[in-house]
Amino acid sequence: MIELRNVSLKYGDREILKNVSLTIQDNTIKAILGPSGVGKSTILKLMLGLIKPNSGQVIIDGTDITCMKERSLYSIRRKMGMVFQGNALFDSLTISQNLGFFLRENMKLPEEEISRKVAEQIQFAGLEGYEDQLPESLSGGMRRRVAIGRALIFKPHMILFDEPTAGLDPVSSKKILSLISSLRHHNNLGAVIVTHIIDDVFNVADSVAVLYQGEIIFDDVTEKLHESEHQFIRSILSDKILEL
Amino acid sequence: MGSENEKPTFTRMKTEESTVIASHRSQFMPSAFLRILGKKLVQQLKDFFLTMQEFFLFSVRAFMAFPKMIRYWRDVLDQATICGTDSIPIVLVSAISIGALLAIEVGNLLEDFGAKTMLGRSTALSVIRELGPLLMGLMLSARFGSRNGAELGAMQISEQIDALRAFGTDPIAKLVMPRLLAALIMFLPLTALSDFAGLQSAAYMAEHYHRIDPGIFWNAVYPRLVAKDFVVGFLKAPVFAIIITLVSCFNGFSARGGTAGVGRSTIKGIVVSSGLVLIANFYVSKIVLENM
Repeated sequence: MIELRNVSLKYGDREILKNVSLTIQDNTIKAILGPSGVGKSTILKLMLGLIKPNSGQVIIDGTDITCMKERSLYSIRRKMGMVFQGNALFDSLTISQNLGFFLRENMKLPEEEISRKVAEQIQFAGLEGYEDQLPESLSGGMRRRVAIGRALIFKPHMILFDEPTAGLDPVSSKKILSLISSLRHHNNLGAVIVTHIIDDVFNVADSVAVLYQGEIIFDDVTEKLHESEHQFIRSILSDKILEL
Repeated sequence: MGSENEKPTFTRMKTEESTVIASHRSQFMPSAFLRILGKKLVQQLKDFFLTMQEFFLFSVRAFMAFPKMIRYWRDVLDQATICGTDSIPIVLVSAISIGALLAIEVGNLLEDFGAKTMLGRSTALSVIRELGPLLMGLMLSARFGSRNGAELGAMQISEQIDALRAFGTDPIAKLVMPRLLAALIMFLPLTALSDFAGLQSAAYMAEHYHRIDPGIFWNAVYPRLVAKDFVVGFLKAPVFAIIITLVSCFNGFSARGGTAGVGRSTIKGIVVSSGLVLIANFYVSKIVLENM
């Protein structure tokens, strides 16, 4: 379970998050919805301990990671896989090397075992024949699937998706969303999805938190979003997509 | 009449207003200006010391990661190829040109004093103590430093460094330590190569431009070189390796603000490391020559 308790964060004089509290249960998909630049991706980085809040606590499975040192955070980070907005694939490594990166770095597995797990992910992501290509030679949708495969390969409990369908064509977006849905059914995984596309929320999320001007203005099951009287939520429900 | 009355009144009012503003300005402008200037200076000083602190911690972490060299030996080899083998052409070109130029200019000067036979000695000292390592340092600051700054800056902007951390890998051990170790290993042979090429080109110019017999040239070089000359020259190699690698990598890691930010951090890395190489060159020479 991931919990944010009264988290506030400032960049210089700019207040990004104001007293944000959130809970993400295991085996559920939670969406964090909000306009671009509001601090949604920052929440994911806080969950991984990549940045520290100015105040408040980030608690992962009962452990407060707010004051943890980098070295101690590695064991916490292994519980979560992250799919970055720009995929963050290592561009000097092939697709196979990208997928097997975590296993080679952190697990003392025999090379045959690593190759087997990489082949599984290649098949899961539908990337047969692209094993030895560099990321730059793949399409946006394929790169996103490699990034998902890389995050899944070490069997985390939770996957964090930063704008999983941003910049993709409708067909690729649909594929990615069905891939996310299948994760819970087949792998029993939880997920946090940060997005500004409201259709993505209704397609995959069990619950949704709406972030607006650094504050959580809604946090409940997705269906109840329609019942909200908040002006911002009413406007995004009518427009379906937030301003970029 | 009315309009005639209004005009002078308005003009008078404006004049009075300007006088009041001017007198207020004369009273408050210097203090306000000084206050703003002081605030800016304090902020810049704060930023400078914060950056220095971050750089110090970054450097300590890079050295502390040395025990992981066995784990990342492939990365060390890759970086050794990049900063060592691939840098040979630029080091040779700069050493050969400066050696030849030095021989021509110093030879002309010595001719005036009838001391042309001392050309070997003066060229060897200049090349081995100063110009060989310094030119190599500046060339590698431009070549290896810019590569580090741009590559790591691009990785920072595209969140690849965050991805490394998210996957439980220490980015300093994976990206900085191999570069630092490779530079420490490879800068020594590159200095030797730079010295050798510089001296050979000087000898060539001595023979073909100044008509000095090679025997006389080399006889003025070898017997007179002492350990101190080599210590000065070769001590600079690891010092430059540390400066160039850490400054360029730190700037790469600090890149912010898209592709323009990568450009800015790369330029900053080259400018700062080149400046520090020049300063370090002076102090290493001074300290060694005074104490040996």
